[in-house]
Formats: sequence, C-alpha cells, structure tokens
Amino acid sequence: MSEVVLLQVIGLCVVGLGVVILLFIQARFLRVVGFVIIVLGIFALIALGVPQMASLPPAEEKFDVASIKTATDMAAIGQKIFFSKGQCALCHSIGPSESARCPDLKGIGAKLTREFIYESLTQPQAYIYLDFRHEGPPKEYPAKMPQINKNPIGLSNNEILSVIAFLQQMSGEPITVSPSEITQPAGQPQKVAALIPIVHGQ
Amino acid sequence: MKNHGGHPGLIASLFREQGSLIAGLSLLIALLGFPLAGLAQDAASASAAVAYRDIPQVGGSRNIIWVVAQQHLLLAGFVLGVPIFAWVCEIVGWKSGEKRYDKLAKEFTKLLTSAYATTALFGGILLFLLIGFYPKLMTYLTDIFFPSFVVYCALFLLETVTLYLYWYGWEAMQGGGMKVLHLFLGFLLNVFAFFIMIVPNSWATFQASPVVIAEGSALARAWAATWNPTWWPVNIHRLIANVVLGGFICGAYAGIRYLSATTAEERDHYDWMGYVGNFIGVFGMLPLPFAGYWLMREIYQYNQQMGITLMGGFLSWLFILQAVLIGALFLGANYYFWLGITHRIEGAEAKYRKPIMAMLVILLLCLGVWMTPHSLVASLEEARKMGGTHHPLLGVFGVMSAKMTVVNLMILVTFMSFVIYWRAGKEETATWAKVAKAVMGGVLGLAAIVVIILGVWGYFVPAIVRINYFSVAQVLIVLFVMLTITPLTALLLRSAKTTTEMVWGRMPPRAGYALVMNAVMVILLMTLMGYARSSSRVHWHVYGVMRDSSQYAYSPALGYAAVFMSLNTFVFCLLVSFIFWVATMGDKGKSAEVSGKGKMPAGAVPAMAGGSQKLDGK
Repeated sequence: MSEVVLLQVIGLCVVGLGVVILLFIQARFLRVVGFVIIVLGIFALIALGVPQMASLPPAEEKFDVASIKTATDMAAIGQKIFFSKGQCALCHSIGPSESARCPDLKGIGAKLTREFIYESLTQPQAYIYLDFRHEGPPKEYPAKMPQINKNPIGLSNNEILSVIAFLQQMSGEPITVSPSEITQPAGQPQKVAALIPIVHGQ
Repeated sequence: MKNHGGHPGLIASLFREQGSLIAGLSLLIALLGFPLAGLAQDAASASAAVAYRDIPQVGGSRNIIWVVAQQHLLLAGFVLGVPIFAWVCEIVGWKSGEKRYDKLAKEFTKLLTSAYATTALFGGILLFLLIGFYPKLMTYLTDIFFPSFVVYCALFLLETVTLYLYWYGWEAMQGGGMKVLHLFLGFLLNVFAFFIMIVPNSWATFQASPVVIAEGSALARAWAATWNPTWWPVNIHRLIANVVLGGFICGAYAGIRYLSATTAEERDHYDWMGYVGNFIGVFGMLPLPFAGYWLMREIYQYNQQMGITLMGGFLSWLFILQAVLIGALFLGANYYFWLGITHRIEGAEAKYRKPIMAMLVILLLCLGVWMTPHSLVASLEEARKMGGTHHPLLGVFGVMSAKMTVVNLMILVTFMSFVIYWRAGKEETATWAKVAKAVMGGVLGLAAIVVIILGVWGYFVPAIVRINYFSVAQVLIVLFVMLTITPLTALLLRSAKTTTEMVWGRMPPRAGYALVMNAVMVILLMTLMGYARSSSRVHWHVYGVMRDSSQYAYSPALGYAAVFMSLNTFVFCLLVSFIFWVATMGDKGKSAEVSGKGKMPAGAVPAMAGGSQKLDGK
C-alpha cells in the first residue's frame, strides 16, 4: 500500500468517524467536533486526489573529468542539468508550449553564439532588449532571467558549459564546447579564457 | 469580577489567577530564550560542528517544528486579531450607546489573557526547538537580527502591561473621560500588537527574500534585512488575515454557544454575536485577495523563479486547493447572510428569494471557473485525445485572466449580499433615495461588466500588460464599488424607516454549523498558505544564501502536507475551545444561579443539536 493510499484510507476513516458522531451522538460540542473532522477529512481527501509532487533538492551532477571523452558526453550532462539543478525548464520550453512563460529555446543553439549564450546565462542584463509593443519610442525590456552562476541556482562553470553543449546539440548544431575546457578538480585553474563575456551596447 | 456559584467559580478564579501567572512564566521563558539565542552566537565555534539535530523517533525535527510553529502562528493571529475586533466593538458600543457591544468586546478581551499565555508558551517552545534543531541557522539569524530581538522583547513588555491595564481596568474605566482613556489603551494595545507582528514577519520574510549587506553597523544590517521586498506585503496581508481570523473565530464561538443555548436570552445574544463575527470576518475577507495579489506581485518582482515555483511549478495545484477553501468560505459567509435575511427579517424571504438564487448561481459558476486547473490530470490516452494536458474548452478557464475575473465577481456578489442584508427590513425615506439606488445599481452593474470585459480582453494582450494594468484595474474597480456604495448606503439608511424589526435567535441550527465551517476554512487557509510560503524557498533556509543541507531539504507533496494542515487545524480548534472553556467557566457558574426565567421548553433543546425540526421551521 502506497503512502497516498494509506493516507486516503485514514482520511475516509476520519470522515466516517465524523458521520458516526453526527448520527449517534447528541452532545452538542461533540457534534460540532464530528462536523469539523468531516470537513478536515474531506479537505485531506481532495488534496490527496490531486497530482502528488514533492520538491526534491537538485541532484549534484558529478563531473568525473576522466569519463568525459567527447562533447556529446558534456551535452548529456547538460541535458540533465537543464531539467534539474539548472531549473531552466521551469520557465523555458523546447518547442512551443502553452505553459512556458519565457522564450522557447528550440533552435537557440543555432541562433546565438556560445559566447552570447554564456553571457545570457551569467549576465542576463548585459544585453537589454527593447519593447516595441506600444506607441512611441521603444522601452527597455530587461530580462527576468536570474544570474545562473549565482545562488539560488549557482551552476558551476563546468555545468554552464555542459548546458551550452546541450543547447547546441538539440539545435542540430556542431558542439563548440570542448571537454578540454572542463575545469580540473579543485586546486587547478579554470579554463575560461575562451569565454570572456561580450558586453553589448543597447 | 465577582464569582458566583461555589465550585466552578472557585476554579474559574484559580484559572484566572493562574492564567496571569502562566502568562508571566511563559513570557519569561520566551524572553529568556532570546539571550540564549545571543549566547548561541558566542558559542558559534561549538555549534558550527552541529548544523542540525533531530528526534526521528517522534516524527523528525521538521514535522515537530511544523506543528509547533503553526500552532504558535495561528494563536498569534488570534491574539493579534481579537484586540482589533474587541476594540472596534468597544468603539461601536461607546458611540452608539448599545451596551451589548461593550459586553461583546469585554467577553473577547477576557479570552486574551489565557490566549496570550498559550501563544507565548508555544513561542517559547518553538524558540527552544529551533535553537536545538537548527543551531547553525539560528546563529546566522541571530547574528543579523539581534537588534530586532531586543525591540521584540521591549514590545512584549509594553503589550503585556497594556493588556493588563486594558482588561483589569475595564469596569473601573467606564465613565466619561476614563472611557476615552480605556479606548486609548485599546488603541495602544493594537499598536503594540501590530509591531509585535511585523518584527517576526521580518525574520520570516527575510528567509524568503533576503537582503544581506556585508558592511555597516549591526543596526544597519538588521534594518536592511528587515526591510526586505516581501516584508510589507506580508505585514498587510497578515494584518487583514488576523482580523478575518478573529471575526470568524468569534462567529464560530457564537455558533457553538448558539447551538448549545438553553434560554431564549442566550439564543438572542449568540445569534447576534454570530452576526457580528461573520460581518467582521467578511469585512476583512473582501480586501484580502488584493493584499494577496500584491504579495505575489512582489514575489515575482523579487525573484521570478520563486513566483513560478508557487504559481506554475510544483505548488500550482496548491492554488486549486486554495480556490476550494476560499470558495467554500465565500459560500459559507454568503449562506449565513442569506439565512439571516430569510430567518431574522419577517417577509424578506419572498422579496429576496430571486436575488439570492441569482447570487448563488453566480458564486457557483465563479467557483467552478476558479477551481479549473491549468493542466488537467489526464492519462496518456486522454492527453492525446485533448491534444495536450489542456482541455480544449475548460482549458480557457484555467488561466490567470479567468481566475482574476471570477475572484473579483465573487467579491462583488459577497458585497451585495452584505448590502442586501444591511438594507433588508428598512424603507428609505430620503428624497434622493431613488437616485441613490439607481446610482448604486449602475455602479455595480457597470463594474461587473467592465471586470468581465477586462478579463476577456486579458486573453489577447501580453502577460505583462495583463498583470500590470488589467488585473490592477479590476482590483481598483471592485474597491471603487465598495468605497462608493458603503458610504452611500450608510447615508441612505441614516434617515430610513424600519419596517420590519430584525428578530434574533430564530436562525436554524445549520447557521451555527455554517459559522463553524467558516472558521475552519480560514484556519485551513492559513495552514495552506504557510506551507506555500515555506515551500517556495525550496531547499533553502535563507533563499539563495543558506542552503538546507539536512535530510529534510525537500517539500512534501500536497496530500501529505494536507494531512498535517488538517491535524494542525484540529489541534488549534481544540486549543481555542479549551481557552474559551476556561475563560467562560465563571460565566457558567453565574448563569447557573439565574432563575429559570426565559428557559426554553425541554423539548426544544434537542432541536439545536439537530434532533428536532420544530424550531428550524420558525
């Protein structure tokens, strides 16, 4: 018996107890107690009837540098991060979606350079878009995107590179991120020289 | 107060004395806890080694904290809501000269002393448990908020002194200028209570939307952390919610006493008290969704991810449950109004049957739309047939534009119920009455139409336009209706002639149960939104600053959480019942001495317990 089924059985018993109290007990206060537990039991049963999703802390992707041989290996890790720790799928979709609140990322790897993607992830406000959806001069339309390398998401440089590899791969583009850019274990310098962010003008 | 009735009176007297003692001891415990929290800072090196402690044998640290914190918060809401309620009643009694309002205010202030002690007791327990279970987090929070801990202690002292003066000085401060002084004490009580609420709010909201500055004095750091983005939205939301809680709990108390009433006098009194409680609860409930909307906007502004986690992420189904609870509350509050119109005012049933039916249909339709989920629970086969998880027809109702529209319509309907009740049994005599009624009808009709138009239009504009302009416009329109019609009705009724006197004590038993249900709904809502607020931080103690690395760094699914919410609600109801029982022991002793005059026939008593329909038909 799963936890949900067990709780549903308990909920039904509680409602049943309330009904029994109302049917057979005349003491006023106890009748009110019976009524209250019926209401609470029904509430719990409704809550147990909706989709049960727990929010688990994101799993840390282990970077075993020795096991990453190809750019495809990086893209595979990037895909996991995209849907877990990176929380990208919370707002973005890959392909049209009714529930997506932020830009569709299908083909994004073909539209943007890796430098621009890196900058969009780490300095979302470096390039300010303009909003033309009204009369008069366009207004600045800053992105709501969080800085992905800072808390609460806090992706490491290796993880960001992997996500870029995934975005390029799913766009059908050649992956320009190389496994050689993966940072070595602690104590060794990071190889991020190739990813100096480019600050765009407005 | 003098005791009567021997044994019960003696017990009541002992409890009253012990109530003060318990209050003092509990406060002492709570106040001593803060220096301990400060000492924990000095022992940082020791506590750094232990980030968490646990007692898995009794359900685990997180569940224990959940229950204790929820009880403390609900009791605090009650203790802060009741003085507002009592003070308003006292002012009404003072201005109108109706003694029953003063009696009602006193009856509820009497509860405060024992409720205050229980709240402080749970606060003390919570503090010790937090220090024990989360030493690292508490050290961090103490480091930031120590100056506000001191302020909190000072506020508690002021509140306690004021409460004692307010309660024990009630009879002594009845005449002339002394009454004004007593009212001023009531005002002070509420001012201190407000600050007692907002100081801990800053600690809780800091965890969700932290502002951390590295430089500056301890005071500057504490102030920056206090004035975080969600602090004021939560302050306002909780202030209004406490009024609602106070009102509906008063209503539930009256409902239970009404069901148990043995004399006509008691029935009259508790029927009237139920009306006042429901009225204040509804009065607070109408602006509450606006405060909630502001809070959500601020959360989105602060961190879009957190907003989406709440509204579109794993917590999205929580808002369907919220719709169920608020919908039930709206129905319960309106139902009670409608029962009042049809049972208390002779001849009103025939006159208002059609409008009541129309309002019921609108409320049910609105509730149906509000409860429509954005994504349906569907099997793979069903999803394929629908072309996704969105139903081709009902999916239209699952979005924010539809929900904002129906919420505003439900508020308008509830407001109309209240106005109808207010005007029932009275005939306007003012020369401008026809014009005023036409204006009110026009304002209401026009507002409803504009709210619907904006709701439909909202589907065709970008989300940012809908959120920033359309939703805000809908809220302002409804507020405008309330702010226009309320004073106009008051003016109109000032010169009105009463055609049918309102008769108290004739409500059927289901009215008492409706009042109880309203209170349960409000408490459940508070537990539900507490879970939402806490879960929106996901795996962070302090969002983005201090990660939860314990084994409990996850938010449980809604079903499991709802079981805890129900348990917490039940425990709180029992606690409040106990407080009411203790506080009214002396009254029962007194009433036992009163002669049997006005006592109802023996056969009529079971009717209130639901056994006989004889009285129900009255």
